[in-house]
Amino acid sequence: MTCEELIAHLSSYIDHEMDAALVAEVQEHIAHCRNCRVVLDTTRRLIVLVHDEGQRVIPADQRSALFERLHQAFLKRPQASNESAV
Amino acid sequence: MPGPTIELTIYENEEALLAGLRRRDPDSCACLIKRFAPLVYAQAIRLLGDADEAEGILQQTFIKACDKLDTYEGRSGLGSWLYRIATNEALMHLRQRSPHVNLADVAETIQEDEMPHRLTSWTFDPAAAALNSELRMVLEQALATLPEALRVVFVLRDIQGLSTEETAAALGLGESAVKVRLHRARLRLRELLSAYMQEH
Repeated sequence: MTCEELIAHLSSYIDHEMDAALVAEVQEHIAHCRNCRVVLDTTRRLIVLVHDEGQRVIPADQRSALFERLHQAFLKRPQASNESAV
Repeated sequence: MPGPTIELTIYENEEALLAGLRRRDPDSCACLIKRFAPLVYAQAIRLLGDADEAEGILQQTFIKACDKLDTYEGRSGLGSWLYRIATNEALMHLRQRSPHVNLADVAETIQEDEMPHRLTSWTFDPAAAALNSELRMVLEQALATLPEALRVVFVLRDIQGLSTEETAAALGLGESAVKVRLHRARLRLRELLSAYMQEH
């Protein structure tokens, strides 16, 4: 397996979407190729790093107006049952 | 006018919060928004790459959630439910914004300039690095530079954690297209982040 072929198969290898024969070829290649080992390792680290990367603060100038609009929409939403409107 | 100060623990758990929402308790709405808006906003901005459009999606998500509250069965948790509504709203917005170009018209092979060039190891511990706000900013900037077609697949697969099949269904793509786009997005982001890692 060449470096180009390894790079082409990198995500399939990381995601375990590769047949056993090809996995063996990848492992043999990275055992001897420092550059491909680095690319594999750093790509894996990227995936760990971004997974469920979390929340984001809403800019302060947008927050209040947005909150008010959503609050009004909530209070005015139509009734689903036969309760009287609020 | 600032939003009201609401103690987020006013409801013991999601069940109590949901009951409050169904009673139209005004505190419950404030609590829902304060607790989940940052999560929804993050997803919208990652998918759309634009703060103004993300704000619109944030609004639509909560309004749609209000409309659907009475039929929400509570199986997936409020956060997951809102996250899913936000994703659907953002994807619909993307399709309306660029129905023929960005989501569909993209090369399905690795481009020459996407081959790895930066071959330096990263020394950070990903678990600790996830808390690093500077790195998070670099990551968000890198994500914003990706073409929409690659970014959307990366967000759904590697950030949100959907399967290839679920991502393909959400985007109306074949699974092989999802795989190639994910791979191209990873290679590009790895390259961009490696530049930052080399300097730190």
